[in-house]
Amino acid sequence: MPGDLLPVLSGDRNLDPAWIVIVEGPLKQSRAEIVAFVGGQILPHEADVRAWLRRSGSSAADIDDVVQETYCRLAGLDSVAHITSGRAYFFRTARNIAIEKIRRARIVRIDCVTEIDALNVVDDEPSPERVVAGRRELGRVQQLIEGLPERCRQIFTLRRIHGLSQKETALRLGVTENVVEMQSARGLRLILRALSEATAQDRPVVGKAHELHSVRKRD
Amino acid sequence: MNSIPSASEIDEEAADWAARVDARGLDVDHDPELRAWLKGDARRAGALLRAQAAISFLDRGRALAGAAPPVEAVPAERPSRRALIAGAGGMAAALVGGVGLWRARPQRLETRLGEIRRVPLADGSLVAINTKTALDVAMKPRSRRIVLKEGEAWFQVAKDPERPFVVAAGPVRVRAVGTAFSVRRGDEAGAGVDVMVTEGVVETWVEGDPSPRRRVAAGGRIVLASAVSPTVAQSPSEIERSLAWRNGEIALDGESLEQAARLFNRYNSRQIVIEDPELARERFVGLFQTNEPESFAAAVAATLGAVVADDAGSIRISRAHIS
Repeated sequence: MPGDLLPVLSGDRNLDPAWIVIVEGPLKQSRAEIVAFVGGQILPHEADVRAWLRRSGSSAADIDDVVQETYCRLAGLDSVAHITSGRAYFFRTARNIAIEKIRRARIVRIDCVTEIDALNVVDDEPSPERVVAGRRELGRVQQLIEGLPERCRQIFTLRRIHGLSQKETALRLGVTENVVEMQSARGLRLILRALSEATAQDRPVVGKAHELHSVRKRD
Repeated sequence: MNSIPSASEIDEEAADWAARVDARGLDVDHDPELRAWLKGDARRAGALLRAQAAISFLDRGRALAGAAPPVEAVPAERPSRRALIAGAGGMAAALVGGVGLWRARPQRLETRLGEIRRVPLADGSLVAINTKTALDVAMKPRSRRIVLKEGEAWFQVAKDPERPFVVAAGPVRVRAVGTAFSVRRGDEAGAGVDVMVTEGVVETWVEGDPSPRRRVAAGGRIVLASAVSPTVAQSPSEIERSLAWRNGEIALDGESLEQAARLFNRYNSRQIVIEDPELARERFVGLFQTNEPESFAAAVAATLGAVVADDAGSIRISRAHIS
């Protein structure tokens, strides 16, 4: 291991002349950076947002649409640097979209006022133990991968956990790259479905209904 | 009805595209076929972002697995977690393809008293931030810069030879590529900067100090910019124990009660006071939660025959007087 560190450590050690200078300028972030942000700060809260929408009385199809629309708005952003809490952002945006939907349907629905009221109780507080949340997230990744059919699971473990390239994965398993790609797509479909079907029970600390009110009082 | 695809149908197509982008390194902004697909329905852009985010979320498993130290004293809640760690252990931190991920403005990360956070950075690195800490993260095309303003943080650095990862703590610099290490600034002036390496090699130096840069390898520890001249000490198990805070824990292995009290007092406004100097020198072993000084006090009382008096502001431990 230290072997492959050597050339880097010995090279260009003084390339940092003015690194304390703060670059102010156009704030457009790369797509890769936005994807990393959404993967780390938005997606892990999707199950909670869905559970909350469900408790607020939204139908399954409505929840799918609201969640998709939220990602759409994120995809339209040039930068996510202004979002301090992904969780709060997710809840807030989903709530706004849900309320817009209800307003648009107002003519045919009479009980919508109570639905809007329900949506106003946003339980977007993060769990008290962020460390525990981090560990749970690891368990969640593992659980998602373990839930895949055998071939998919092998490929995901090699690609995502061990960081092998598609080519290396294909060589290791003795299959073509095409098979790896097809299985990756299949596995990803299943994982996306699992992420949207996750129920509140999967997330013991955050998702419990009785915490809806008590959680607000913290701090 | 059939003409409008449902959200989940779009999700399925998006999964195929995300897998293809990931496998072939397609450029989302310029691939003509992908652009045509995206144009076909406004919702597709959101679905693709979600699918790519799911891949990125799975990749975080690698960073988190590497970050969770295998503390022997804690029974693993999930038996297979160990296997995952073993799998990830051989690998250095997450590889980020040669894409220029960078943030134009430094990002400030802070924790309050008793708070411990793990934050993934945009380059794929992971930082665990201990109690009462402030740091600035500046991601640039050619460099990754962290300024530790106060407190302690542990970094698992994603390999990127093009962009050195340097942590500054006062005049001290710690530079790494594809490694994991912690940096702690002492509370008092002259206490120095404590660097502990858990993976790989780091290079350390003090700005303005002409002495040669020092390399510290995994299991090594060095205190820089303090009153005493720096030496590298090898103590891998000691380091793992010192970094138990990443799991919200304090691991004591023969520390004096005075040292233990100081550790707990870093995390809690309710301060532990050891009233008797002789009692303060007693040694203690145990694993505790950083935010539960009460259970530490109770354990001390039970094993060393001490008494505990607590009020809102403090927990006072003293010798039980036999009269």
